[in-house]
Amino acid sequence: MSNDVVVELEGVRKCFGPRVIFDDVSLSVHRSEVVAVIGPSGAGKSTLIRCINRLNTFERGVIRALGHEVYGTEEGKPALKRDELRELRTEIGMVFQTFNLFPHLTVMKNVMLAPQRVKGLSEAQATARALELLEMVGLSHRKDAHPRQLSGGEQQRVAICRALAMEPKVMLFDEPTSMLDPELVGDVLATIRRLALDGMTMILVTHEMMFAKEVANTVVVMADGRIAEMGPARQVLSAPKTERARSFLERVLPHTDGGGVTDVRTHPQDQGGPIAGPIDSIGGSALWSREADEEELL
Amino acid sequence: MTVVLASIWGVWAPYLPSFLRGLVITMEITGLGLAVAIVLGAILAGFKLSRFRTLRLIATVYVDIVRSIPVLVLLFLAYYGLGQLGFTLSGIASATTALGAYYAALLCEIFRGGVQGVEKGQKEAADALGLGRVSGFARVILPQAVLRVLPPSTNQLSNIIKDSSLVVTIGVADLMARSYQASASTFRPMDMFVLAGIIYMALYLVIARAIERWELNVQRRRG
Repeated sequence: MSNDVVVELEGVRKCFGPRVIFDDVSLSVHRSEVVAVIGPSGAGKSTLIRCINRLNTFERGVIRALGHEVYGTEEGKPALKRDELRELRTEIGMVFQTFNLFPHLTVMKNVMLAPQRVKGLSEAQATARALELLEMVGLSHRKDAHPRQLSGGEQQRVAICRALAMEPKVMLFDEPTSMLDPELVGDVLATIRRLALDGMTMILVTHEMMFAKEVANTVVVMADGRIAEMGPARQVLSAPKTERARSFLERVLPHTDGGGVTDVRTHPQDQGGPIAGPIDSIGGSALWSREADEEELL
Repeated sequence: MTVVLASIWGVWAPYLPSFLRGLVITMEITGLGLAVAIVLGAILAGFKLSRFRTLRLIATVYVDIVRSIPVLVLLFLAYYGLGQLGFTLSGIASATTALGAYYAALLCEIFRGGVQGVEKGQKEAADALGLGRVSGFARVILPQAVLRVLPPSTNQLSNIIKDSSLVVTIGVADLMARSYQASASTFRPMDMFVLAGIIYMALYLVIARAIERWELNVQRRRG
């Protein structure tokens, strides 16, 4: 494992009971690399990144993170002691689909809590760091609000600040914009884009194909419990090599070379047309998969 | 109307000081019993949520047994039963023990539900930030659980106030006992028990409204 590798997965398998969610997943993430994980709903994308900070356990394989030669599961036994895991988690930032801000704390306190409690920062230090981060995402004026008083997009940006306040070495994003109204997605993506430009290492599960194409270095297509294809973002997204990746991308991307099905949003004339035409494309559009995931969540 | 009220007041007035001294004892029993119930209930809830089967089993058995016994039986066990074994408890101590033991079983279930009812994502967020189990619970889960358990706990408060009147059977001079004495010496049970009822009601409503207001304030602040 070269020094440059931040997160490495080797032959990871995850099951829920008898059902295999994914198997034989291997992946290396280098420093400052942005990896986008895409694929149809239920492919185990979220489960996969949740294995990296062990919010989910896994059944086989090894995950190495941040030089900790750990995380292997020998016969399902965790190789990490609880304290070591906690330590490691402080270096892995996580952003959730449902934000998961602490509703009883103000925006400031949400961001300050972990630095104070875990890293032992003083009130003044934690305040300064939180303000700086909130400033960066354009929310310093909302610092005394409670999460429920914020829009989804604002909540998610606070959640990003909360994770960044621990100065993580890698950030995991679990469908960060899936629960947002379309007009609020942009601000969150802008924040993530900025992190990418700052050289943050990131693993991002997303349905925003255009964003993945723009920001990610590497795209991983997960389907049918495996990595269907993995490679440089532009290449995978515009000229996928495998049939499985191509069929998925054809259904979600507006202009793939494969043609065939197109995204209704880019073809307004289709919307007014007869119902028979675009049914398939509606079912496969990025917009639709967002809703499908919400249902899963409920 | 004024005449009727005046005549009732005439009956009540001489007994009011006695009733109010009884109210103090009622509040004392209720307060002590509730304190025991909250502490023991929290410990039992901790057992129920524990990873260790033995602890979960102990809590389950305790709750099942205690909850199915009438409070009066528990009270007699504490007062007469323990006395027979040589642990003589005062009336108030017996009442505190019985009410504390009984309501701990009820609060245990409420507390457990309150903690489990906090959204799973909250624990995950705390874990992902590297908050330890202690600060994760104290700073993230508990503050949210408290708000959730407040309404059902306030409900139990009304019951514990009312059950405190059972001490009349072991000769503690609480509000109930004093109204009973007054009705016996005046032959006016209707007037006396109505007065007792009014005082019990006032006690509960004042406390319940105070808790409700506090809860509303907190919720409003959190948006």
